[in-house]
Amino acid sequence: MRDGVIPSQFGGMIDPSALMKIKSMELRAKAVVEGFWKGIHRSPYHGFSAEFTEYRQYTRGDDPRYIDWRVFARSDRYFIKKFEDETNLRCHLLIDHSKSMGYGSGEYTKSQYAGTLAATLAYFLFTQGDAVGLATFDDRIREYMPPRNRPSYLRRLMQALEARPEGKATNLGAPLQRIAQILTKRGMIVLISDLLTSIEQLERDLGSLRAGGHDIVLFHVLDPTELNFDFEVPALFEDVESGRDLYVDPVAAQKHYGRMLGEHLDSAKSICGRLGIDYHLFATDRPYDAALLEFLQHRMRVRKQVRRIRRPGGGRIP
Amino acid sequence: MSFLYPLLLAGIAAVALPIVLHMIRRHTRKRVTFSSLMFLRTTAPRLRNRSRLEHIPLLILRCLIVCLLALAFARPFLSKPLTATKTQPARRIVLLLDTSASMRRAGMWEQAVEEARSVLADVGPSDRVCLMTFDGVAKTWIGFEQWSTMDLSQRTPAAIRSLTDASPGWGTTNLGQALIAAAETIEDDEVGDDRQAPGLRQIVLISDLQQGSDLSALLAYEWPESIELAIRTIASKGATNASLQLVASRNVLASPRQNGGISVRVSNSTDAAKTRFQLGWDAEPQTAREVYVPPGQSVVVQAPPRSASPTATRLVLTGDDHDFDNTLHVALPLEQRAIILYLGDDDPNDPKAMHYYVHQAFTASSHVTIRSARGVLTEQDLTTASLVVVADATAQANTAALRRYLESGRTILLALGSPEGAATVRALTGIGDLECHEAEVGRYAMLDSIDFKHPLLAPFSDPRFGDFTRIHFWKHRRLSLADLPQARVLARFDGDAPAWIEIPVGRGSLLVWTSGWHPSDSDLALSSKFVPLLYSILEQGGTFAERQSQYLIGDAVRMSAQRVQKPDGSTLVLDDDLAFTATDLPGIYAVQSPTGSRNFAVNLAPAESRTEPMAVEDLERMGISLRSVSDVVSTVGAHAMQHRSFAQMESQQKLWRWVLAATLGMLLVEIWLAGRLTRIGPISEGQQP
Repeated sequence: MRDGVIPSQFGGMIDPSALMKIKSMELRAKAVVEGFWKGIHRSPYHGFSAEFTEYRQYTRGDDPRYIDWRVFARSDRYFIKKFEDETNLRCHLLIDHSKSMGYGSGEYTKSQYAGTLAATLAYFLFTQGDAVGLATFDDRIREYMPPRNRPSYLRRLMQALEARPEGKATNLGAPLQRIAQILTKRGMIVLISDLLTSIEQLERDLGSLRAGGHDIVLFHVLDPTELNFDFEVPALFEDVESGRDLYVDPVAAQKHYGRMLGEHLDSAKSICGRLGIDYHLFATDRPYDAALLEFLQHRMRVRKQVRRIRRPGGGRIP
Repeated sequence: MSFLYPLLLAGIAAVALPIVLHMIRRHTRKRVTFSSLMFLRTTAPRLRNRSRLEHIPLLILRCLIVCLLALAFARPFLSKPLTATKTQPARRIVLLLDTSASMRRAGMWEQAVEEARSVLADVGPSDRVCLMTFDGVAKTWIGFEQWSTMDLSQRTPAAIRSLTDASPGWGTTNLGQALIAAAETIEDDEVGDDRQAPGLRQIVLISDLQQGSDLSALLAYEWPESIELAIRTIASKGATNASLQLVASRNVLASPRQNGGISVRVSNSTDAAKTRFQLGWDAEPQTAREVYVPPGQSVVVQAPPRSASPTATRLVLTGDDHDFDNTLHVALPLEQRAIILYLGDDDPNDPKAMHYYVHQAFTASSHVTIRSARGVLTEQDLTTASLVVVADATAQANTAALRRYLESGRTILLALGSPEGAATVRALTGIGDLECHEAEVGRYAMLDSIDFKHPLLAPFSDPRFGDFTRIHFWKHRRLSLADLPQARVLARFDGDAPAWIEIPVGRGSLLVWTSGWHPSDSDLALSSKFVPLLYSILEQGGTFAERQSQYLIGDAVRMSAQRVQKPDGSTLVLDDDLAFTATDLPGIYAVQSPTGSRNFAVNLAPAESRTEPMAVEDLERMGISLRSVSDVVSTVGAHAMQHRSFAQMESQQKLWRWVLAATLGMLLVEIWLAGRLTRIGPISEGQQP
């Protein structure tokens, strides 16, 4: 990207094209993650473990096993004891492996970039002891690996991420709904896709995931050429997914393209905003460090939110 | 430099095409794979700026090719003045006047002569004119050669004189044949004439163009393209034209009725204004009756009974505008009887004998008489007989007379009732030795190998009538054909024995049937073929040939007459064998022949009465190129003639061939240059972001 939407220079960060020269996905991830210290995540989710957090008044439908009888003896009212869940973060990486992800104007494709990004996040989360799972999809789920945090599992994840995308057309709807069915426990979902499909259904699909209590981060990966459409010579443009071709004179078409792409990005962004989804647009020439940084910033924000929510009514026994 | 078809130079405008094509970017070669077309739409090819026109030499070459092609199609030639040795192209004009009977209508011939006069007035000194008239046949009054040899001042008066002589006759209008004759006259004149450049070729037709004109000859004729037909139509003053035709009964065997009983067809023209006419005998106006005929229709009416007066030979129709076709000449029916002489001893009332059946065959006919003769024949018997039927052998005394009868051109039918009849055959034919014996017949014999091409049997040639297998022969005689070298076998029995033989004797013929028709020999007399066969023999003998008494103008009349008196009183003397063809006047012709005198009537052809004008398009449909009346000779144009001379110059120079050769050469260079540029093109044009 030369005159991209997103600034091209990130001081002190590793240039992705340089990073891509490292063949091993794991080493690439390691290189990125080094420099970030091991952070501790406090689970935002309430479970019934050892550490007590608060009392809550009993309402009909609550399990009577958790009623604190001693409080009942004292106050003649039913209270439920709540505990902080000490489990680690369960993170799902959802990688788009559709054909359009195989496009790249430079030395590497969007898919390779997305894979490295996913590997970086996975490596980072593993070092913290969090469980990481992986799902690749095109128009349906192609591969699914449930979240684990064994060190050997990381290698399997890396191997899966190195696979070339062989999918067909992008279709977010069906895979996201399937994921929503699979994931019963709440956790974090990182969706990496170029979103080059109709996003009319995106709000509903992400909404159903969000309703499952999942915390969602969306990395929207696009090639710099896709963002700027800086071709010069008129040619027959062939759709990599459908094979359809179209005669386009870029000089004449650029304006229209920019407007259409802008509308697409805006609507994606606004959908994410409405659903409380963290949205990041990444051109594939953007360093991974930046992505990791943004990811971490998001995590911190979430944690603060959780604490803010907990503080007002937290722990006070009437 | 001039052009034969300068309009085609507009094709030069097509040079815009290569220029525009050069301005359009070439786009289809390059393909770019892109992740998604969802934000793209197709764009129209952009034109390059004028300054960015590429491959200028190629462009110039292509423009030149287009220009040269347009030039070649415009047929260029170098115009030069016509050489002095060649005279101005002569116009060849055939003046073709209709002299058919329909032109006899009042005032029409005068109009026609006036039209001809006006055409002749416009003829220049170098023009060649041919004056022709036509009715059933075309007649040349003044030929091209004669015209050109005449003194300039004498030409038009001579033509007018000829026209005065050529007044309309009574003939039919064979327009097709006349046009072909005129066109061929022009072409013949041009063949022998190299001195003059071909000029205008035109036929000026002066005619009433009646519906009854015969155009059928044109159907088989390819009209010469450059001969134009200019029509000057002569219109009649009144449109109503009723005509009269005899509803002729051509059945010569029908009994003619002497008094009245004549049916006539009265037709009225489609554009008629009158519908009521009077029909009556010319000499007896009091007998006239009224006839109602709607326009375009015809009715058949019974003519009023005529008196015995010999002058009553003309039926006259009155009440219409034109009387040329209102008279019908009716000849008195002939009173001629055929006499069949039967030679045999059998009883005419005995159904087992042959005579009975011959008698029965002709009882219905009132004009055939059977005479039977026994014993020695008299000369009187034979001269009046139309046909002699000999049953079996006849007396030796008769054979000499019968042979003379045969040699005079008559027919004898000889039925061999027994092998002894062969003696009569020998005597009549003069053959010394003729073998004949009774044939052996199983159950019955049938006829086989029937010669339907013979005039006697031709009436049976139609498959509906040609079935002779139902006739069974119980007995027949076997004649040795080897003894009869001249004999023609008309039919054989299925055992290959000849059944019916014709032996020519002198000018006549002897018909020999090797079996009788009486029940003991065969059931021939009982079959439906017997009576027609006898009539056929009678007709072949020439008995009824002269019975027809009604003819049309131009018909040939077969007769053995020597002297014919025409209606105008003139008398023609004929050779014996020739048919009479001078039927050019309507009326009663009196014939004097050795056998007696008779009359026959000649009337106008019915087609000639269809006087309503035909559509000029009918002529156009035959491929004739028509020229409208307004620009007949006088204004036919200088322009057309100039174009013809230009075309001639162009065809001599043939510059278009050179232009086309140059175009082809340029095309080769263009192909080479374009190929070369294409090879180096992609490198210079490659653009990839």
